[in-house]
Amino acid sequence: MVAKIIQIILSPILALIVGVFFLGLARKIMARIHWRYGPPLVQPVIDIIRLFYQKSVSHGRMFDLGIVLSLAGSIVVVLFLPFGRICPLSSSGGLLVILYIMLLAPLGMALSGGQGANPNISIGISRKLILSLGYEVPLLLVLLAVMTHYKTISIVEMINVQQSSNWSIISWPLFLSGLSYFLILPAILGIRPFDVSSAPQEISSGSMVEYGGKYLALATIEHAFALFISIALFVNLFLGGAANPVIFFVKMLVVFVLCLFIHAVFPRFRIEQAIKYLWRWPTLLAFLGLIIAAATRS
Amino acid sequence: MSLVALLIVAFGGAFLTYFVGKISPKLRNCLAVVVSLLLVVITALLYGKSPNVTFYPGFLGIPLILRLNMLSWFFAITIVGIGLLSVIYSLQYVKKEERLDYYYFTMLFINASMLGTVICGDLISFFIFWEMMSWSTYLLISYKGGRAIAAGFKYIIMSIIGSLAMLVAIISLYTRFDTLEITALASQMQTAPIDYTLFILILFSIAFVIINAFWPVHTWLPDAHAEAVSPFSSVLSAVLVRKGMYGLYLFMYVILGLNILNKLSAGIISFNTVFCWIGAITIVFAALTALLKNDSKRILAWSTVGQGGYMILGVAFATTLGMAGGTFHILNHCIYIALLFFVAGAIEHQTGGIRDLNSLGGLIKRMPVTFVGGLVGICGLIGLPLTNGFVSKWLIYKTLILAGHPFLAFAAFLGTWGTILYGYKFIHNIFLGQLPEKYKDVKEVPFTMQLPIILLTILVILFGILPGIPLKVVDAIGTSLGFESLNVSIWWGIASESGTLNTINIFSAVLIAAIFVWILFRLGAKSVSVAQDDSYAAGAYTPVDKYHYTAEFYNPLYRMIKPFLRDVIDEFYYWIASLVRSLANSVRHIYNGDVGYYVMYIILFLTLLIFVQVRWKIW
Repeated sequence: MVAKIIQIILSPILALIVGVFFLGLARKIMARIHWRYGPPLVQPVIDIIRLFYQKSVSHGRMFDLGIVLSLAGSIVVVLFLPFGRICPLSSSGGLLVILYIMLLAPLGMALSGGQGANPNISIGISRKLILSLGYEVPLLLVLLAVMTHYKTISIVEMINVQQSSNWSIISWPLFLSGLSYFLILPAILGIRPFDVSSAPQEISSGSMVEYGGKYLALATIEHAFALFISIALFVNLFLGGAANPVIFFVKMLVVFVLCLFIHAVFPRFRIEQAIKYLWRWPTLLAFLGLIIAAATRS
Repeated sequence: MSLVALLIVAFGGAFLTYFVGKISPKLRNCLAVVVSLLLVVITALLYGKSPNVTFYPGFLGIPLILRLNMLSWFFAITIVGIGLLSVIYSLQYVKKEERLDYYYFTMLFINASMLGTVICGDLISFFIFWEMMSWSTYLLISYKGGRAIAAGFKYIIMSIIGSLAMLVAIISLYTRFDTLEITALASQMQTAPIDYTLFILILFSIAFVIINAFWPVHTWLPDAHAEAVSPFSSVLSAVLVRKGMYGLYLFMYVILGLNILNKLSAGIISFNTVFCWIGAITIVFAALTALLKNDSKRILAWSTVGQGGYMILGVAFATTLGMAGGTFHILNHCIYIALLFFVAGAIEHQTGGIRDLNSLGGLIKRMPVTFVGGLVGICGLIGLPLTNGFVSKWLIYKTLILAGHPFLAFAAFLGTWGTILYGYKFIHNIFLGQLPEKYKDVKEVPFTMQLPIILLTILVILFGILPGIPLKVVDAIGTSLGFESLNVSIWWGIASESGTLNTINIFSAVLIAAIFVWILFRLGAKSVSVAQDDSYAAGAYTPVDKYHYTAEFYNPLYRMIKPFLRDVIDEFYYWIASLVRSLANSVRHIYNGDVGYYVMYIILFLTLLIFVQVRWKIW
């Protein structure tokens, strides 16, 4: 019981540290690719602390509650996701529950932004929702392939099987699915070429435009969690999870840096182009992957 | 005897309300509420009892029977519950309309006849109540006149086709088995040849699939639901459409039973897979179509079509989990869709009949209670954790995945993600964004309209956090139909051989996390409240009243999916209708009502006869 409570407290903190570290790392690596020196690694931490002390504007009750719901939703997802062997709540409902709780964060953000009453926000949210429909099609096919292959909806069991045999991505029934997942990972993370919903130059960061002060701080923390969640899910499902948090972190780091390289060199898609891409190759691969997984299911 | 009392109160109350309305409108309103409340009380008291009475000894030599079991109690309580709430809601909603005696009478009459269909114990009374329900529904759909008349007409034509199919089946059953009592039929059907069973099942399915509005016979529903009066849209969408599900339960599981259903298969095509794929197509088609709609009630109507797909996916699968999921989804859908129609009705009522999502906005500040109701309802519709819709969808998904039908599960998931898009659009375009100048003075709805919204909101969340309470009833239905018992506990969630779902865990996690973040939020520097037009526009001038981006909210997606989403089926039906109409028109040239022509026809016919006789001498 005590061990469980410690895990419950520990896992969001670890996730936050990893997420914020990734934010800092992203700026550093991007700067280096651009031949700049870049801010120090702890810059996001400094920013978050500073933002908490700054003045901000509020557009109403839902504007406040939405951001709180969003961050709370992210924290809850972390509790359901195994981080190495740390998985405090993963026994309740498995992958299906994770999939659904992952909706709380964007929904909170959308509700909060919605009350911001700024057209940039509405455009950002509408793009975000369209994009999410775009990547959910292949993502759901991929997740179904995984669940069909392992005949369980429990993420912990999937990791156990992978630990005792191969990683999913190099076991042939799931190879195509894994590949498809990696192809849509930039869209899930919302980085280039899929940063249509934030797009600072076009729509002033979309749903973030009205945020300042503590709102922006909470939104940044939420962003850090979101980075952690998307990558951790990929690592858990396809790269075999990990026996301890350190190896897990290393795997996440590799995936994240790969995504950053894509981010650094690609220009932005328009939303139609993004959907066309997502519904073509990744969906085709994921579809084939699901057929294989269903056919080889004994 | 109490079943007879139930029917007497239901029908008697309806007629009494009509006549009292001629004397005093106030008294009529009170009476309508009292009758509905009385029905709820009687039905609630009947929980767990299984009376069986013959209320009419010989109708054409067939005894008419009333009986109650867990299945019919489940449907009965949803009927009377939603009936009560919609009558309460109507009090203020229809206040300014005309012909209110007629309105309340039909409303109560529909409730009474729906109640009749679920508590009757033989097919002849089932058919009678069914027809009463169809016709009175037609009357109430067209109550508002105008476009509503066309919608009602569409409904009644499709409904009659279904009823005729059912009538053929009932007559066939009677001539073959000489009884129409459901329990007797259930035992007789076990020995019937398989092709006859299939014949009966298909005929009945036509009737129930039409009323359930599954693809490809969904076309009546969006029109009817959108054009009906909002309180009645709730009844239509929440309970009346689901009478089709009751019918399917009755014929698939009560009369035929699992043994026979399992025999009805040829290769991979079995009765279950046919229904499952119909369900899957319904889900995806409806979800994507709803995305394109801009009318608040039409969106909800399409979502009703789509959610029916989830029910049939669970129910047709015929496993313990699937059955529980499907049955529970019927209840959940009933709760949140009634709530959402009340919300849409409240908006319509307060803004002077506006249903166009593109012209609303910012109403959260004026109608907070309605907003909370709408938000919770949409969350339930999406199936977000901690709302009731989540639990039933979880059960259905799990059934599909564990049984190895990932493509069906994919259709179900895809439908959910479509739901998120149109659900958010519903919330955003009505309540969020900027409040237009013309709605500055909109007020929250009066208390009698708030009450149903508040009650249903509480139910959505209560059943989401403690799904064990309704699942006890759902489980009892499952076991009475011959399925295994589900391991449900009120406090510890739903256990099954592969993983449990513990909503209490999720609830406490969300609650604690939210409190923690809230404290963090309060600790930060204070924020200043600003007016709605005081927002960032990069220094540009911000035109008042045009500052709410709602029109064509998902425009890029529209352009991509619209060509694929023509409702070909609806166009096909209209084509048939126009064909029939032109045929009738050409017939009218012959029967033109002019006596001279008729005399000419007679003479021509006699000439023909004489000619034939003279030429061939056949007589």
